[in-house]
Amino acid sequence: MKKILIANRGEIAVRVIRACREMDISPVAVYSECDRAALHVRYADEAYPIGPSAPRESYLRIDRLIDAARRSGADAVHPGYGFLAENEEFAAAVAAAGMVFIGPSPKAIETMGSKTAARTAAQCAGVPVVPGTEEPLAVDVPDAAIAAMAERIGYPVLVKAVAGGGGKGMRTVIDPAELSSAVRAARSEANAAFGDAAIYLERRLTRPRHIEVQLLGDVHGTVLPFVERECSIQRRHQKVVEETPSLAVSAGARSAIASAAAAVAKAVGYTNAGTIEFLLDEDGRFYFLEMNTRLQVEHPITEMVTGVDLVHWQIRIARGERIDLDPAVLVTPKGHAIECRVYAEDPDNGFLPSPGKIVELRSPSGPGIRDDSGATEGLDVPIFYDPMISKLVAWAEDRPRAIARMRRALREYVVAGIRTTVPFFTWLLDQPDFVEGRFHTTYLDEALKARNGRPFVQPTREEEDIASVAAAVYTLMTAGAPASHGSDGATEPAASRWKAQARLEGLRNL
Amino acid sequence: MRYAIEVGGRTRQVVVTRTGDGFAVTLDGHPWQVDARRIGAHTLSLVVDGLSRKSHEVVAAPNPGSGQLIVRVGTTPVAVTVNGTRRWGRKDDGAGRGGGPQRIAAPMSGKIVRVLVKPGDAVLARQPLVVVEAMKMENELRAGRDGTVAEMHAGEGMSVDAGALLVVIQ
Repeated sequence: MKKILIANRGEIAVRVIRACREMDISPVAVYSECDRAALHVRYADEAYPIGPSAPRESYLRIDRLIDAARRSGADAVHPGYGFLAENEEFAAAVAAAGMVFIGPSPKAIETMGSKTAARTAAQCAGVPVVPGTEEPLAVDVPDAAIAAMAERIGYPVLVKAVAGGGGKGMRTVIDPAELSSAVRAARSEANAAFGDAAIYLERRLTRPRHIEVQLLGDVHGTVLPFVERECSIQRRHQKVVEETPSLAVSAGARSAIASAAAAVAKAVGYTNAGTIEFLLDEDGRFYFLEMNTRLQVEHPITEMVTGVDLVHWQIRIARGERIDLDPAVLVTPKGHAIECRVYAEDPDNGFLPSPGKIVELRSPSGPGIRDDSGATEGLDVPIFYDPMISKLVAWAEDRPRAIARMRRALREYVVAGIRTTVPFFTWLLDQPDFVEGRFHTTYLDEALKARNGRPFVQPTREEEDIASVAAAVYTLMTAGAPASHGSDGATEPAASRWKAQARLEGLRNL
Repeated sequence: MRYAIEVGGRTRQVVVTRTGDGFAVTLDGHPWQVDARRIGAHTLSLVVDGLSRKSHEVVAAPNPGSGQLIVRVGTTPVAVTVNGTRRWGRKDDGAGRGGGPQRIAAPMSGKIVRVLVKPGDAVLARQPLVVVEAMKMENELRAGRDGTVAEMHAGEGMSVDAGALLVVIQ
């Protein structure tokens, strides 16, 4: 494998390019109109335009991606996550064009992409699933039959899209009278989002935690599970903070969950990187939820506590290599890691996206900090894509120290020109429930509701004083040279000081 | 130079004079001795002389939405207005303030996925009105204050451009 095309953008494209460089493989980028100057284009050896900014006309165009891959002479394609990463048609098209798809087989993507087929696969492997309907409920199933199933499963029930993800096409029903309207709403949302109106029912567990297991499988039949990640901190079904290991998983439970995950993956002949998600109930029982047949956004925290580079292994597995990692090391975390997904959103305005030009950016660094970012100063955060600008990861010897380190890193994070979720994370990391690990998948939504839109940061009197003085001094210093001009006010005086110093030292040739 | 700085609902009088290696500042008559260094287009390092010499890193950048200057002091963003240059009426969260109609526009182009109220409905401040999908996320647009829905221009499934008027609250 000498050349890999990355069929993605932003921070994940940058992440894969970094792995390519480290493995002496030439990275090829693709870009939509608004991404011409993006970091992933600048880091790549070659870059091909694939169309207008809207994802449907560029990053989701299989034909254009395959064309670009052919023109570049790439031997393999890495899909990243999102866009076409879990699209079996794309995986098949890459193979049909004579290239290697860095991911599982189209068949495995298809099986695990259907929530009901995945549940069946888990049950066959002897892994418990949340009680629910075994078959997808097509549009013609009468309301009365659905009501009878819901009765059997027990309220509250979740109505979920068979093709679903990210909370789309999902409704909670507590009162049986609301079932049929919830089914209709879920169907229409699922149809709009995934082009498939099929739904199924599942019991809603009370206050579950979201626990997931990273896996690597090679083409020689080895499947190895990693220590679990906990992703219970979610806003409207979207993960915002992840950590590993989980406080809620004992060493005994860890090996049980890891073996269950490996059993499900083996049952479907899974290869490459994937993740099995579980719900953990209040009594410590775990249930299979779904499988993600790709790299996850939160993969860096697993890398931090195990020392394994998952993207390197994705490429090595795609080359046909055998996994020769020590299985015991993968389930024995070294220290603790936390990830905050930094979004271009205004937390003080209902988390509305905050697109625009980043005029100043300084990422945190120092001991135990990793910032996987696709953003740079001068770049616009486009309105067309997911507004995540970076994944900030903190590692330390234990959880309290990892939290302290993350707080320190958030303090260092400077982004101006757009709003970000940094102030929200600063608040969250100070919450006693978070610090003590008392949370579940609806904790954050409940905590945010209780705040009722109160701002995350309230300037103190002293901060207002300093801001007033600073605003006046800044206005005076930048008078005549507007800040938006982007010119560095320090350059000229510095240059003349150099000249003065040079004259002083008798260096006349300056 | 004399500046009127609006911050936290108050107007502060700030007078700045360049001195040898810094600035003599008075804030509402109280004197400050400030050593300021400009690091980049938007970043200043301030060392303020007082009982101790406090060091503050300050990042000042205009907020494109409101015309205000966002001054980040340490980790805290503080919205300020210099000499009244803020364009009024752009903020949609002025809960309870002002008697005129509140016009809620799409903050970005996207698709209306849900309309939660209809004309004539009484709404409370911060009540969700319309859900717009943009940047792969569903975003709730909320009422800025208590009132009645006077106009509703959003329909489910509609594509809207940034700035399009969606709801008027009377």
